[in-house]
Amino acid sequence: MKLRGIGVGAMMYGLGYGYARPDFSATDIELAPDGTVTIWNGASELGQGLTTLLCQLVAQELGIPYEDTFIISADTGRTPDAGPVSASRSTYVQGNSAIKACRDLKGPLSELAGELLKVDPDRLIYKDGLVQDQEDPNRSISFHNLAGEMHKRGRRVRGSGYHNITTADVDPETSQGDAYASYAWASQLAEVEVDTEMGLVTVLRLASATDAGKAINPKMVEGQIEGGAVQGLGFALMEEMKVEQGEFKNAKLSTYLIPTAADVPMVEPLIVEVFDPTGPYGAKGVAEPATIPTAPTIFNAITNATGKRVRSTPASPERVLRLLGKLEEEEEETQLTFEDMPYPEP
Amino acid sequence: MTGDKQALQKEKLIVGTPQTLRETDFDPVGKSVVRKDVIPKVTGKAIYAGDLHMPGMLIGKVLLSAQPHALIKGIDISAAAAVPGVKAVLTAQDIPGENVFGIAIPDQQVLADRKVRFIGEPVAVVAAEDAFAAEQAVSKIRVEYEPLPAVFNPIDGLKPGAPLVHEKGNILYHTKVRKGNIEKGFDEASVIVENIYRTAGQDHAPIEPEAGFSWIDAEGVLNVFTSTQYAFRDRRQIAVVLNLPMNRVRVANMTMGGGFGRKDDVTTEILVALLAWKTGRPVRLVYTRHEAMLTQTHRHPTYVRVRTGANKEGRLTAMEGVIYGDTGAYSSLGIFVIKKMALHLGGPYYYPNYKSDSFSVYTNNPIYGPFRGFGVLQAAVSHEGQIDELAEKLGMDPLEFRLKNCLRPGLSFSTGQVMTEACGIGATLERLQQYMVENGLSFERPQEVSA
Amino acid sequence: MDENNLVKMTLTVNGEEVSMMAKGGRRLLDFLRDDLHLTGSKEGCGEGECGSCTVLLDGHSVLSCLTPMERAIGRSVVTIEGVGSPTNLHPVQAALLDEGGVQCGMCTPGMVISAIDLLQRNPDPTVEEIIEGISGNLCRCTGYKKIIFGIQHAAEELRSSGRTGMVKEATR
Ligand code: FES
Ligand code: FES
Repeated sequence: MKLRGIGVGAMMYGLGYGYARPDFSATDIELAPDGTVTIWNGASELGQGLTTLLCQLVAQELGIPYEDTFIISADTGRTPDAGPVSASRSTYVQGNSAIKACRDLKGPLSELAGELLKVDPDRLIYKDGLVQDQEDPNRSISFHNLAGEMHKRGRRVRGSGYHNITTADVDPETSQGDAYASYAWASQLAEVEVDTEMGLVTVLRLASATDAGKAINPKMVEGQIEGGAVQGLGFALMEEMKVEQGEFKNAKLSTYLIPTAADVPMVEPLIVEVFDPTGPYGAKGVAEPATIPTAPTIFNAITNATGKRVRSTPASPERVLRLLGKLEEEEEETQLTFEDMPYPEP
Repeated sequence: MTGDKQALQKEKLIVGTPQTLRETDFDPVGKSVVRKDVIPKVTGKAIYAGDLHMPGMLIGKVLLSAQPHALIKGIDISAAAAVPGVKAVLTAQDIPGENVFGIAIPDQQVLADRKVRFIGEPVAVVAAEDAFAAEQAVSKIRVEYEPLPAVFNPIDGLKPGAPLVHEKGNILYHTKVRKGNIEKGFDEASVIVENIYRTAGQDHAPIEPEAGFSWIDAEGVLNVFTSTQYAFRDRRQIAVVLNLPMNRVRVANMTMGGGFGRKDDVTTEILVALLAWKTGRPVRLVYTRHEAMLTQTHRHPTYVRVRTGANKEGRLTAMEGVIYGDTGAYSSLGIFVIKKMALHLGGPYYYPNYKSDSFSVYTNNPIYGPFRGFGVLQAAVSHEGQIDELAEKLGMDPLEFRLKNCLRPGLSFSTGQVMTEACGIGATLERLQQYMVENGLSFERPQEVSA
Repeated sequence: MDENNLVKMTLTVNGEEVSMMAKGGRRLLDFLRDDLHLTGSKEGCGEGECGSCTVLLDGHSVLSCLTPMERAIGRSVVTIEGVGSPTNLHPVQAALLDEGGVQCGMCTPGMVISAIDLLQRNPDPTVEEIIEGISGNLCRCTGYKKIIFGIQHAAEELRSSGRTGMVKEATR
């Protein structure tokens, strides 16, 4: 028999490290005489698209084409220390430091542009390759020419940005306090089909509503959401380190199975944008939020289909058959009782 | 490139420049501009750490512990060192500085000295002229172990008389979260559900196994090119182990084949640097998939007991939970992963009364550390199970129940922190409601489908 | 190094004749990466599970980590380096780029080769056939969706311009 069900799941995630762990970033940028910009940032590109994102932010801030940016990343011999890449903090912290570097460079840039255009530097905006007076758009100089003039006059052409979101620590006895600089949010919906003879769970549909604050690069956000959900699906249904007497028994890709293209649905990313005033252009990280709710979402769909609750990962065919009462022997873990796990005293 | 090859390329199929490259991208924020790193990646030109080579390069290989908990009585490297082509066989004794590292607290040995604490802990490392000689040498190292009693589960690890993984005791960290009055909260509840949840260990399985490359440049700077989530922390830790000033060590990240948290920790970096420093030659150390899975970190297995109460109106009144997290033989980020789990055990909902405890416990299992989701993923298995079950018991729609209880600006998290306007949980849940309408989905419908 | 173990490797790699003495008894993947320095083919597992080492041997995809190097003697090998160049992308490469099917890129070379192998056998694949065609290629980053759509678009692009038999051209 095949049973279908729908389930939902949700999560919140404190962004960054919290509780007084150092949480900062630094970015340097430099303007060449031809108007192109080089960015140095010490954070790693893991494949998530951080270097692209930083180039987008710098191009946006300076009003120059994205193609005119180039980035050098994560090299202690060349870049400033920008902290680790983890905790879904990169968009948030690295992004803010890149914006601050641009604003730092805009100081001397606006000063010279103001002199040349005879305009108050505070009135200048950077857009479409021009630096122009926002009240009189005819007064403008191309970014490219301004870059050349900066070099000719020996002005400062380098900018630095530093952003620090290190929080105070929470109370050691109660953990009360402002733990994180900001929080990320996501909810997912799954539809599953459970084969009650084989115990096999097929995910037919996986929709992921993830709050990106602002999607700086929508395709990359979708990529994080789709890939994150598939890692979550692996955790939900197939992935399990079998550790016996300390030995990781299935430590090979032939025995530790991760999802293939044939195991996954076409994840539907539903990007939600709740502006975060503390993020760059309102943005925040999505990498972890996209992974977190998937397993319980699938488990709740299994419950909707079968009436049975999955409380151990993964929901492998064996475990599902056991839940459905079709396999006799008990699992070791389900023999854990409340007595084994007392709540500590207040 | 030869003339022939150029001619060949001209003949090849071409569709021209991709769409996204043709636009001039002013105002790129909000646009799916083409990634900066994608052309090298689609053409195979991107250089990953394991792709590096240099004239005179040696190949590194590591010997991993075969015992979960044992004293090292002796290591005989003589046969290994005699293999032709072998240039170095290093053990703990050969470390010039401190034999210690660790992402949060330095409790891990670079090469096991006197004692091993998990299967997969590096015991010796070899550099040889080629992979074949390196493998041979590793297979000829003889380690004499004296097995010790071991502990393989965090609940057992807390029992009196449990074997000690580290002298300071098996509790790495105990987090307490206390908000409101838990007794009162459960008194107000008309429905209470209580369960045990268990999550298994998960391997990150980035398609690129850990790899590093090291050499000494003309100025005497020790260079390490690697696949890392934090080059600067690697540099600090390498310098301490090699007893070098930090500014004489350079760590650069190459194109990375995925990390997902695992490469936040030191992987090959210290070992490959040690080999280059000792031999004076460039060295490449690339883990096989099996080695990487044994020796690197994974997602913490957890055991959770939790009870959650709601009143007749369907509002959450209290949550109480206890978490046992298996951090394995060394701490890695085990303090913070399991701490974060305690804070997030209730999920994105408002609880006036909240109490949780989490224990991050050492065992003789593989090391568990940071992995995309960082404890919150394990917490979600519990809180979403609890919430769903409460909705069912109260006869409420699962989405409505979540919307009724989710955090909103002005409401407080488990730590008492008050949510700001950037509280998006309601918006994501409403997006799912809309999605269900758009797709004609409902929680109540015939479950059975014809096979 | 065992001098007796040298073999003469005569073959075509990415359209170029290669003829050299090399240490035998290794995998084709090692010969390509270590001897020819063609490091575009990756080693994700070394046991035939991940597909990141996929190359074309006489036009058909093989896992170079499971292929003895001697098996390539007298034959034609195409690696990712022989597929397209930065200014001259192959339709599959261009489509993966456009669609966003590349994150860390570690699976990408093998994925591109498998897709080419599929499209030369089946110029108009269904989504199910694409999934089957790449089910031996693991990707830990993307969730596969953008890769699948990318391959679908590449197939459309090729058909609309009336081109098939790519491998014959690419390996000529
Ligand atoms: S390296 Fe050949 S299949 Fe994984
Ligand atoms: S893009 Fe990273 S493995 Fe596929």
